[in-house]
Amino acid sequence: MNRLGIGIGWRPEIDLTVERLPGVDFVEVLAENLHRGELPESLRVLRERGVPVIAHAVSLSLGGAEPLDMSRVAHLASVAETMGSPLVSEHVAFVRGGGLEAGHLLPVPRTREALDVLSAHVRQAQAELPVPLALENIAALVQWPDAEYTEGQFLAELVERTGCGLLVDVANLYAGTQNLGVDLEEFLTSLPLEHLAYVHVAGGEVRDGVYHDTHTHAVGEAVFETLAALRAHCDPPGVMLERDDDYPTDAELAGELARIRQIVTGR
Amino acid sequence: MSLAEQQERLLRALLAGEDAPEFDQRLLATQAAALRGKRGRVVAKLAPDLAQLLGDRFRELFAGYADGNPRRTGESARQDAEAFRAWLIAEGHLDRPRWWRRRHI
Repeated sequence: MNRLGIGIGWRPEIDLTVERLPGVDFVEVLAENLHRGELPESLRVLRERGVPVIAHAVSLSLGGAEPLDMSRVAHLASVAETMGSPLVSEHVAFVRGGGLEAGHLLPVPRTREALDVLSAHVRQAQAELPVPLALENIAALVQWPDAEYTEGQFLAELVERTGCGLLVDVANLYAGTQNLGVDLEEFLTSLPLEHLAYVHVAGGEVRDGVYHDTHTHAVGEAVFETLAALRAHCDPPGVMLERDDDYPTDAELAGELARIRQIVTGR
Repeated sequence: MSLAEQQERLLRALLAGEDAPEFDQRLLATQAAALRGKRGRVVAKLAPDLAQLLGDRFRELFAGYADGNPRRTGESARQDAEAFRAWLIAEGHLDRPRWWRRRHI
């Protein structure tokens, strides 16, 4: 896997901040928020500096039972080409079905049937994408009954069948341990971490006893500890911070990036 | 139940409030509220005038709109915001805009 280093999610609202922040080795952009062939000025500046830009998608619905919308795959491929992305990423999730749009990532049942559908869609997408695809664990709040695999086993089987990379979101993983009883060590030991492409880190909050992965709060100690637990199992090629709203000062973001770097590299 | 049927059932439970007793009801309600909250935040961003006009009532009114109007595939977030505006007017929560009144007098 490519060495990426420490990075941050590029958002139009913090474009100058991302350019100014020290120690940003790579960035990730949301593919759905960019038009085909469009390269915002800030991303052009970052590209000129040699900062890799990963294209990240949220709407492919790879785990959905309905046929894959190939125009969405083509859009992701086009953004990846414009950005010169070393890889692209999506989620192990579905977002639509029966004419309804969830507007957010929902979990797929961890059954053989769902794994067959997901794997077929991943292979179909991979055939159209110019670079490798990494897939991310989501922060589900609801859980399907009668799972045939643990989440770790399900992801491991997906990697085995498709050769996809893994994007481990440690905030989503922490949410799973808190809300759904996911066993952190079982998850980490089940995953083929040699396929780890990069890692997401984000903040959240507890409301009514449920941990919500908001991306609008500072990263909590428990999420940093989850990153440290992952670090104990492997040396991740890249780790990045996600912040999606209620943007803090540049100093706060720099502090979170420094903390991530300290956990990952010891420096 | 096929995977397609299972997924549609979960979507109907989350977006249209239909029964799905096989799921943990507390988690189902939490997930439904999170989806509605995210949808509302997107609409508030696209229609800041509505967010400002409604203030503290935005959340409650948006919940009332969302329950009867699950978002359809192919409907953009902008269309969702406009549909919410039309719903507010139809339900009497918002005055008709002046241009609309003038044209229909």
